[in-house]
Amino acid sequence: MAHLLISLRAVNHRLTSLPVQQLPAIAASLAGSISGCGELLSTPQSQKSGKTDSDHSVQVHKLVTRITSLIQDRTLEGRWAAVVLIKALVEAGQWEILRGIEPFVRGLMSILNKPDPTSTKTMAVITLTRLFHLTYQYPTLVREITTPSLPGFITSTLNLISVKPASDPTRRLKPNSPFLEVVLRAYLELIARHPTIFRPFTAQIHSVLQAIVGSNSALYSQPVVDISEQLFIALHHCAPKNTGGEEWKNACRMTITSIHATADHVLRAVVEQWESADPSLRQQLGHAIDYGREVGTHGTDALGLAEWQGLDTGVDRLLVLLRMLSTFLKTATATTVSIPVGSILDLTARLMSVTIPSDGGGVQANSSISRTEREHLLAELPCIHAACMRLLRTLVNTLETAALPIAQTILEQTLWVFRAEKFNKKIRSSVYDLIHVLISHIGPSMTKKNVSSLTDIIRTSCTDILPQDTETSIRDSSDVKGKSKANSNAINADSFLSPNLKQGRQSASVASSTKFPKLARAASTLLPAILTNLPTEYLAPPLRAEIDRTIIMTSSKEAMYASVLNPFPAARGRGANIGIVPFLARSYASEIDVEALIRPRMPVLMTTNAIGQYVPADDDEEQEEEVTVDPVSASQTLPETTRFLQQSTTPNLQDLVDSGSGAAKKATTTTTTSLNKRTYTEEPPPQPTLSSITPETNSGEVHVKKARVESAVSTAPVISTTTVQANSVKDDTSMLDAGAWSSPGTVVVEQSSTITHVQAAQPSMEEDDSDDEMPTLNIEPDTDEEYDE
Amino acid sequence: MLSECFIASTLASAKTPASASLRDVGICLHELQPSATLRSTFKKSSTTPNCLAVSASHIFAAQSEKATVHVYSREKGNQEATVPFHERIRSIAVAGRNNGDIVVLGTEGGRLILWEVCTGRQIVTTASHLRPVAAVAVDPTSNFILSGSSDATIHVWSLVDLLSFTKSPVGRESQPQNSPIRTFSNHRAAVTAIALGHSTGRYNIAVSAAQDNTAIVWDYRTGHVLRNFLLPANAVSLTLDPVDRACYVGYEDGSLQSVDFYKDQSVQHPLHDPSLQTTPAQIPAEDRWLPPSADSGVAHTLTLSHDGMVLLSGHENGKVYSWNVGRRKYASTVADFTHPVTNIIMEPLSGLYQQAASSKRVLHTVIKPRFDHSISEKPQFAGTIPADYEFNTHILAAETFSGSDWFMEAFSNASFPTSMLEQGLAELATMGQPTSAAAATPSMSVAMDIDNPAKDSQIADLESEIATLKQKVSVSQTARQATTEEVTKLRSDLANLHDYINELQEKQEQTQREKIRREARKEERAALRREAWFAAEKKGRNGDAVLRQLELEEGSETSGTDDQSSDE
Repeated sequence: MAHLLISLRAVNHRLTSLPVQQLPAIAASLAGSISGCGELLSTPQSQKSGKTDSDHSVQVHKLVTRITSLIQDRTLEGRWAAVVLIKALVEAGQWEILRGIEPFVRGLMSILNKPDPTSTKTMAVITLTRLFHLTYQYPTLVREITTPSLPGFITSTLNLISVKPASDPTRRLKPNSPFLEVVLRAYLELIARHPTIFRPFTAQIHSVLQAIVGSNSALYSQPVVDISEQLFIALHHCAPKNTGGEEWKNACRMTITSIHATADHVLRAVVEQWESADPSLRQQLGHAIDYGREVGTHGTDALGLAEWQGLDTGVDRLLVLLRMLSTFLKTATATTVSIPVGSILDLTARLMSVTIPSDGGGVQANSSISRTEREHLLAELPCIHAACMRLLRTLVNTLETAALPIAQTILEQTLWVFRAEKFNKKIRSSVYDLIHVLISHIGPSMTKKNVSSLTDIIRTSCTDILPQDTETSIRDSSDVKGKSKANSNAINADSFLSPNLKQGRQSASVASSTKFPKLARAASTLLPAILTNLPTEYLAPPLRAEIDRTIIMTSSKEAMYASVLNPFPAARGRGANIGIVPFLARSYASEIDVEALIRPRMPVLMTTNAIGQYVPADDDEEQEEEVTVDPVSASQTLPETTRFLQQSTTPNLQDLVDSGSGAAKKATTTTTTSLNKRTYTEEPPPQPTLSSITPETNSGEVHVKKARVESAVSTAPVISTTTVQANSVKDDTSMLDAGAWSSPGTVVVEQSSTITHVQAAQPSMEEDDSDDEMPTLNIEPDTDEEYDE
Repeated sequence: MLSECFIASTLASAKTPASASLRDVGICLHELQPSATLRSTFKKSSTTPNCLAVSASHIFAAQSEKATVHVYSREKGNQEATVPFHERIRSIAVAGRNNGDIVVLGTEGGRLILWEVCTGRQIVTTASHLRPVAAVAVDPTSNFILSGSSDATIHVWSLVDLLSFTKSPVGRESQPQNSPIRTFSNHRAAVTAIALGHSTGRYNIAVSAAQDNTAIVWDYRTGHVLRNFLLPANAVSLTLDPVDRACYVGYEDGSLQSVDFYKDQSVQHPLHDPSLQTTPAQIPAEDRWLPPSADSGVAHTLTLSHDGMVLLSGHENGKVYSWNVGRRKYASTVADFTHPVTNIIMEPLSGLYQQAASSKRVLHTVIKPRFDHSISEKPQFAGTIPADYEFNTHILAAETFSGSDWFMEAFSNASFPTSMLEQGLAELATMGQPTSAAAATPSMSVAMDIDNPAKDSQIADLESEIATLKQKVSVSQTARQATTEEVTKLRSDLANLHDYINELQEKQEQTQREKIRREARKEERAALRREAWFAAEKKGRNGDAVLRQLELEEGSETSGTDDQSSDE
């Protein structure tokens, strides 16, 4: 400890030898030295032993005495330095210093009443708060120091920020007090610990806070208003024994009532369709509103906030109250409180049901209110809705798992607003944030319908991360082609002059998205959450492709991981999945987690067909429904299904035909090859294949009879193939298949018969073979043509 | 200090415990590490297997042979409530990661009861099971409930669907409300235990054991069977490795066994390998881990320590055995509770550094369930949330302020931040001077105090300077102009001179040529004269006379030519 003693002695020497005016300049370094001597300062006197014992205590005593004299110094510099040193000394010395702290407290309190500079007072407030904070864990010190001096502290600080008229329990704020924030922060720190001491001052503090929260002009900075709201809520700590929870609930309910009352006036330009779920509230809000006067309230509201006039002020008030309500949900409470979840959702349902009208419909206008006011209100609506969504997000964050019962309701409310107001950036970013929080709780069990209702939001978030390049380029080209002559002035001449501009557009567009960092951030955190939490099989493939494309473009590691770890399940016959693992490997080759993914130390979960082989039951059902409902649509969908099924089940088809006589084999191979070719090229096979086969099989003698046989047989093999191929498809489906296929069958007959007319001179073959083969050979090409038309 | 505890519950029996501290005790909080000691006890409880659930704040114990659930407050260490239900409860689980907000109860009649402990809301499902619900489990996402019954089926329920006020817009009109979304019926006998994997992702697994000597690993999100294990005996209890590498089963004779999922060396995950999914794996009977004594009785319950290396089992004889997972054998007897130990639940480690910030709120007292009228009785309000739906909780942590917080920085650090000190110093420097006059540092005041006349003079000085500078600039400008003019003039002169020189050179050349011509002519004439002279001499005439005559002629000629040449 020798080195500590040396540095302490050096501190003492400088403190005593240097003139007081020079102390502030070295105060920081002195404070640093004192913090370094913490071990020495906090050692109890009794434990010190040996020779240096006396020297230790002498030095510590010297330091404390010097600082005590400095805090009472005549000069500003001395007091300023003393405040800085006390803070360091107290933090370093712990209980050893705290027990002798009383002179410091007295000195600091006197500074608050002296005309000292702002910084001295600010630091004095912070130091005192810290002192009270530190003594809290020692009951004896609380009794000796905090309890006697805290009321004096509250009075002095209240005097710093406000004026108390005589004979009035309330206080008026001093305008532009620089101490407002620090004093409120200090109260916020102390009120939960010393509620009983604060209790006599509750009314005074309350009046001050009311003035700040209810101020109609932007007099107070955002942090000050935030703190005021928190302190307003924290006042319930001071409530008499066991009524804290009740107090909190009342304050919360009053805030909700106040919001409803404000909304009555603010939303008067439209006719609301909403009806409260709370019968008492329904009665309460029934009173009439004077449409003749300017929008505004008269008299104080439920919270005791001042009246307001004008729509702008009203909207501001609404926003402040909504923010306060969300502050209720995240500020620590004294005891168990009951959060009125039902009322909060009732409130948001009201505010969010009024949306900006689209072309089709929307809110009904109130005819007694001027159009200007209505338009003004509509312009302000997105702000209100964004505040509502912030409130809901806080609610979900606080309730976590307990938010499951209300999550669906919140999701619906969000979708209303998003549909109507997605053009607004603020709305979009709030929706992304809220959806992000929601799906992290309810995502895994979301149904297909729910997921598809999110499609629009997901698409927009992709666009917000990467503006659609294709759109702009298309528009550009059309502009240049169509209107270049008509209005050459309107065209951006720069795009002609420098070709680099077009190449640089992509980077420029990315840069443009960074103009709204909040929006881009919200959108880019939403995407990985969606991939991680939603059942990926419910995301439509095109949407999934768009998400993956966006992720690749942004090459955000988190999003890439989400995509790689939640691949689109491989459906039957669709082949292996193409993931974005290569992009991840290229972008972050040296990262440890990429290494873990690519060269795992545990067995792999391969995303082969096997894992995703399960096809959701809904799909099959839906197909069945379609078939039964409408034969026309069935005949349209069927070729598709058979086509992709054929790719995987060609061997089956071959087996089937092979079961015929051996002579047919040659023809069969041609069939399968032609089928294969068609599947890959996706084009109707050329006529030659048909004509090249028909000569072998058709006899010129029995045209009519032949045709009839074909028509009879042509349907049968196809039915059998479909049943074999689509194992999961049920029997009734295949029956309907037959119905759907029968009409193309007749077409085949006509066409093939005409061809046989032409090529009647060709030598014939055995009839049995032709019966087996003919339909399978001809029917596919012909039906294809049919559907292509 | 880092410590690890478990909570064990017993089924009341006729035996009387040896130690007085265990008398009448139904649930024990027991320390496992560092020292195996009894921490605290809760009295008056008797539970069958799968009938104990623990949340951060409470312990829920469904009583055997009674239709009640005992709720114990861990904070106060006493029994907080006895909650009656219409049916006997056969299994219990808690949903909600940190707080345990929802208690899921499986009843004797084959229903599930969901009880929101913070609101008192209660939801009863259809009686989808034909026999009592023997085991319930909630998945790590708190989205799905798995309930296994003696009727050999396991139902998968969506927690969100069951709880939602607004029923999700799915085409489930055909099915009754509050029914399972999926049924797993691969077991052929009564299901005894269900364990869920630890993943929140989509490839999480469920393991279920039944009295048909099987344990099946399956994917509860799809219903797809991943692996069948044929066990040597009926598995009674089940637990899953923290990494989902293996599961451990307990048998009726008190022996245990580990079922290793990764036994074969394969690249593909063995559970997801389609080639293995169809073939059941036979677990050899001789691999069982035998209990220390034959009278251990049924291994009712199993649990694993935090690191997955110590397996605890609760037995019919009231003992809790600890097994070494690595060596696959019995290690020691941790505790003896006399009564049959039916449930053991391992507590999360306490004493980790980052644990403090985990919980946002705490529940002090549960709200007893009341039947939810809004769903069944008022169809017109089916989708809305009743206004009296309130959530009781104690919110703990204030959310941290966004952005930089100067107050907390100054408040909780060892000394004030530099920025604040600098600001204070600046303030002292500006406002400190008038009050403390004498000792003021002079160097600073000079910069600060500038009186007006000085300022004026300085301005004047500056102005004059500007004027002179302007003058200078104009002068230099004109000078530059002049020089440029001069230069141009000189250039033109130079050009003229060049022209002149050229002219002169031409003239010189011309004269030279002229001279040459003249000389040539002169020579010619001289030659002529000589010839003439010679000719005259030949003719005998006086050559000189001829010459003279010629000279005379030529004189006129030359003068003529001279004139001509000069004219040229």
